[in-house]
Amino acid sequence: MIPERIKALLLPIAILAILEIWARAVHLQSDSLAPPSAIAAALVEAFQDGSMLIATRDTLISAFAGLSIGGAVGLACGIALGIFPIFDRLMEVTIEAIRPIPSIALLPIALIALGFGYRMEITIVAFACVWPILILTRAAVGGIEPRLIEVSRALRLSPADRVRKIIIPAALPRIFLAFRLAAGIALIVAVTVEIAINPIGLGAAIMTAQQALRPDLMLAYLFWIGLIGYLLNTGLMVAQRHLFGRAALVGDSA
Amino acid sequence: MIAAVNQGANSLRPGRAQIAFSGVTLDLGGKAILENISLDVKPGEFLCIIGASGCGKTTALRLAAGLYQPTSGTVAFDGKPMLAPRRDIAIVFQDYGKALLPWRTAAGNVSLALEASGVAASQRAVRIDELLKKVGLPNHAEKYPAEMSGGMQQRLQIARCLAQEPKALLMDEPFGALDAMTRQGLQDEVLSLVRASDATVVFVTHDLEEAIYLGDRVIGLLPHPGRIGIELKIDLPRPRDQLTTRENPEFLALRRELFDFIKASEA
Amino acid sequence: MNRSVLYWRAASFAVAAGFVGSWQLIADQRLVSPVFLPGPDRAWASLVRGFTSGDLLDKLLGTLEHMAYGWFVASIAGIALGAMIGSSRRMRSYVAPSLEFLRPLPVSAVIPVAIAMFGLTQSMALFVIAFGAIWPMLLATIHGFAAVEPRLYEVARSLHMSRLAIIFKIALPSASPDILAGMRLSVTVALILSVVCEILAGLDGLGHWVLLSARAFRSADLFAGVILLGVIGYLTALAMSMVEKRLLKWRSSGH
Repeated sequence: MIPERIKALLLPIAILAILEIWARAVHLQSDSLAPPSAIAAALVEAFQDGSMLIATRDTLISAFAGLSIGGAVGLACGIALGIFPIFDRLMEVTIEAIRPIPSIALLPIALIALGFGYRMEITIVAFACVWPILILTRAAVGGIEPRLIEVSRALRLSPADRVRKIIIPAALPRIFLAFRLAAGIALIVAVTVEIAINPIGLGAAIMTAQQALRPDLMLAYLFWIGLIGYLLNTGLMVAQRHLFGRAALVGDSA
Repeated sequence: MIAAVNQGANSLRPGRAQIAFSGVTLDLGGKAILENISLDVKPGEFLCIIGASGCGKTTALRLAAGLYQPTSGTVAFDGKPMLAPRRDIAIVFQDYGKALLPWRTAAGNVSLALEASGVAASQRAVRIDELLKKVGLPNHAEKYPAEMSGGMQQRLQIARCLAQEPKALLMDEPFGALDAMTRQGLQDEVLSLVRASDATVVFVTHDLEEAIYLGDRVIGLLPHPGRIGIELKIDLPRPRDQLTTRENPEFLALRRELFDFIKASEA
Repeated sequence: MNRSVLYWRAASFAVAAGFVGSWQLIADQRLVSPVFLPGPDRAWASLVRGFTSGDLLDKLLGTLEHMAYGWFVASIAGIALGAMIGSSRRMRSYVAPSLEFLRPLPVSAVIPVAIAMFGLTQSMALFVIAFGAIWPMLLATIHGFAAVEPRLYEVARSLHMSRLAIIFKIALPSASPDILAGMRLSVTVALILSVVCEILAGLDGLGHWVLLSARAFRSADLFAGVILLGVIGYLTALAMSMVEKRLLKWRSSGH
């Protein structure tokens, strides 16, 4: 029996090996493919000349700034809507009308209003992050055991204390889940905006590599972007499990 | 139909077993679950298997169904070795909630068995009506399992099994999860359904009274590994009755005997 | 629908109308330059003009076409591959970890690779949209097939059902809640990627329309395009949830 861990690695290793052998055998000259060894070399090179680090920094700054702003707005609105069902019912149509707008459609608006650069990208990322956080927070707050709310009333906690001491801690596991999902979205949207139009970050770098007919560098960036996505997701998942136990991971298979 | 013809053929050779275990041993993961079980079930017989939990009675039933293969020894049906499940052996699972297709209505669930046996679409509707009526669900054809009570779901599973026109019906603690009243009602229904169909029944239960009430014969298994520890012939008159049969002194004596056996096997 | 629900709905519409009204007010008062923010009246006029001249309708159909093709290809491939991988334990243990690694990859990052392979063409867009939309369905189908109640497979075995019958009568319906959830997610992904591909490759569609409008500072046209994209997002999500409700009737009933 082969251990599961090794089974998991067999497929990627086999693909890399076949690609390498094939590329060498046919003396590959391509604009879209490169042997894994050349990709690895390009990755090292991009790290050494610093371009990879700068691009990574730019993308992560935009993604996290957007996540923070969008997350704060989504969290505040989600808590408000969760606590006051009246508010929720009144805002229903408005939210349902704005939410389905694909975040990337706002790109041209942000572009003419803010120009190229961080601000435009952060705005779009923030818009995209508001919704998952708003909706999951609203559900989390709305789903708090009513007994707890009664306790806070009986203790005559002030509204601020009620949010701080009862509502946020009770809803925290699901709010964290919302942030984890939103962090993934933030990275995706940031890279997408850069690929589509904004000349900074990893997205722009991978486009430049493609236009410079450097498939090795392009694929090195692709690998690096994938790795960042994977590490971000895995890291947050480990943190979630660590903070809230396994139960917190139930029901987020999608 | 097929069952009836076969019944005739078997009655020409009285004593021939329909289900025959000879020297059956089953190991799972290096652990002996069943050891050297030899057992004949005659056509039309109602055999009950009892035993403490973990004695392998459910496993024995799965061997009879062909869902498991013995490590050594043979399981035969009508004289032929069982290498895979057969359509003329139906199995009623205890967890009816898992064994029904939740996305099909009651009629659809019965239909599954008819589709599998290649019954033409035009004839299915009539057969489904018939079967649902037989198990007392004539007005629930369009309900989904989630809309039915536990007792109704188990009736539905029995209807699906009857749709297979089985020569043998294997029942794995079918009423274990039901309340006492529903359980007694279903016991009587199963008895009358079985009498009407001539099917052989192997019925696994942990309820001693249920075993005596239903069976022609009761076998008790000893645990770790499972082996036959007791065999009782039940000669109580039929048709049986929930009150008089259970008050019969012979019934009480048998119950005492099985009770002592279980007590001893757990010690 | 009971009365109070209707009242609340009406009140909610009134609130939304209030927002549109204040948007009009802000635009009329020129609190924000009309170059960036047209009033709802101008956006509406642009929508009407766009549809009567047929321009906007063409772009709308273009985007819908890109979405539909990519999503369709992804659905077929995703469900077929997912069924293949999900129904075999061996396949799962070899392939699933690699898929889990690829899952968080920002799919738009394959756009440059697709451009290198296909150029700035329709095929590039089809590839990118299908590649992006396949993940939710693929992973959901694998999960759905892996989670089929084992008891049902035993029922299938004792009924001697064929392999094909088992897939179509047991595994697919059992996995259908997961598959439909995956399809719902993929529609959104397909819409976003259609817009991105149209922007990048200049393909006929709303993405290209909003970009051109922005470049020419025709903000009314720009907003008309964005509103239409929102409408597509809303209607496709609505359609999916209606299909889901209908197909999964068996799940909501009872409990």
